Amino acid sequence: MKVRTVGYFFKQAFKSMWRNGWMGVAAVTTVAITLLIVGIFTLLVFNADYIATDLESDVEIVAYMDVDASRNEVLQVGEQIKAIKGVAEVKLVTKEEGLETLNKRFGRNYDLLSSLGGVNPLPDLYRIKAESPEDVETVAKTLQQVAHVDKVDYGKEVVDKLFAVIRWVRFMGAGIVLLLALGAIFLVATTIRLTVFARRKEIQIMKYIGATDWFIRWPFFIEGMVLGFIGALVAGVVLYFTYDFVATNIRFNLTFIPLISDMTLVMKILGSLLVAGTLVGALGSLISVRRFLQV
Amino acid sequence: MIQLLNVTKVYPNGVCALNDLTVKIDKGEFVFLVGPSGAGKSTFIKLLIREELPTKGQILVAGKNIMRLRKSEVAKHRRNVGIVFQDFRLLADRTVFENVAFAMEVLEYSKKEIKAKVPTVLEMVGLDGKGDYFPHQLSGGEQQRVAIARAIVNGPRLLIADEPTGNLDPDTAWGIMELLNNINIRGTTIVMATHARNIVNKMRKRVIALEHGRLVRDEAEGGYGYES
Repeated sequence: MKVRTVGYFFKQAFKSMWRNGWMGVAAVTTVAITLLIVGIFTLLVFNADYIATDLESDVEIVAYMDVDASRNEVLQVGEQIKAIKGVAEVKLVTKEEGLETLNKRFGRNYDLLSSLGGVNPLPDLYRIKAESPEDVETVAKTLQQVAHVDKVDYGKEVVDKLFAVIRWVRFMGAGIVLLLALGAIFLVATTIRLTVFARRKEIQIMKYIGATDWFIRWPFFIEGMVLGFIGALVAGVVLYFTYDFVATNIRFNLTFIPLISDMTLVMKILGSLLVAGTLVGALGSLISVRRFLQV
Repeated sequence: MIQLLNVTKVYPNGVCALNDLTVKIDKGEFVFLVGPSGAGKSTFIKLLIREELPTKGQILVAGKNIMRLRKSEVAKHRRNVGIVFQDFRLLADRTVFENVAFAMEVLEYSKKEIKAKVPTVLEMVGLDGKGDYFPHQLSGGEQQRVAIARAIVNGPRLLIADEPTGNLDPDTAWGIMELLNNINIRGTTIVMATHARNIVNKMRKRVIALEHGRLVRDEAEGGYGYES
């Protein structure tokens, strides 16, 4: 292929876009709207994931020691717990500390210990955080095997429910994004088919003259990619500013909802949208030209 | 130049368009292809430019067996074959010059080459100075001349014309025939499918007559036949 031929392809592509101006606007709008929805869903999924992870990381395992275990034994158990795979953080709450907390709960000057007859009935306990929420259950099970551990407690039901929700959100999100992407390809294919159809005579003549299929395809290919790219760009810009606005507002007004504020992640999503838009355009145009090349 | 050996073409819908046809056309010949509608003329032409493949038999064009061509070779094959249609098939949104230049652009000629070649071809077909006109500003005969210019600009060895005078009045048709004759004299083989009795009878060229997909007549200096 000669360099001037490449120039010819681009010239033809832009000429065609200029000639079929409204068709181009339709294609760009189609891509933009579809990718905007795809982008919104992607951001929703990412944020749902983020929120879920945030909640998950609050899940705590509590391991109660035997009441009669000596302080030394308890400290040893602490070392053992730290060695368990998947444990991120271990915090000892001694029975004295526990009593104090209880005291505080009952009132400033209440002396719980004397009303209990001078014997502290509370056990020492460890508050443990898992590295990742998936580890919670295995860690809890391992803890039960450790000597001097009396009872292990964690919000099993809460964790399980949370997992179910996250799985569902991820699954649905991925499905919807995939469906929308497919829809986008066919919408672009249909729109570009109109511009191809308008030029079917030209394609036929090119075939008779002896143009190769790729020679005929390239201008449409370029046209599709440019239209897809522009559409994605529009979607990206709208998405960026909308997200920035919404996230800022939520952060100030609904502070308890943690949202992804890291704009580099958002930029990454936008980058993928641009790539996706270009691909969608290219694929769409290839699908539409195919039929008219059968001469 | 062209050799068809026992060619049979049956379309997927069961219509048998050509039946065991064997024809040989030499280099530099001018051949009329006649016969009633549905005799197989269009199929004959479609086989030559490999728009269709025969069901049986062999086809050689310019020494090449065109049945074994790969996709990219089909394009190359068509560059050696110019084609003109009854309905001209010009691009309405391009000028005469651009229509002819289009054929050269497709084959990746440079702008300089195109600018040098197109005017000489336009002059040859009698459209000197009409390069900036659009097809709708021309008469039918002139439009067909543009189509012929487009077909010969890349110097094909074979020119196929599918009823090139079908849409033209008799006087204009004669102008086109003179032009085709000139092109033939310069060495291009011409195969022309036609229903124009007057033209065939006056030109006294070789006539190949088809009926129901079979060769019924092949005369060196024949007439149209079907005098009834």
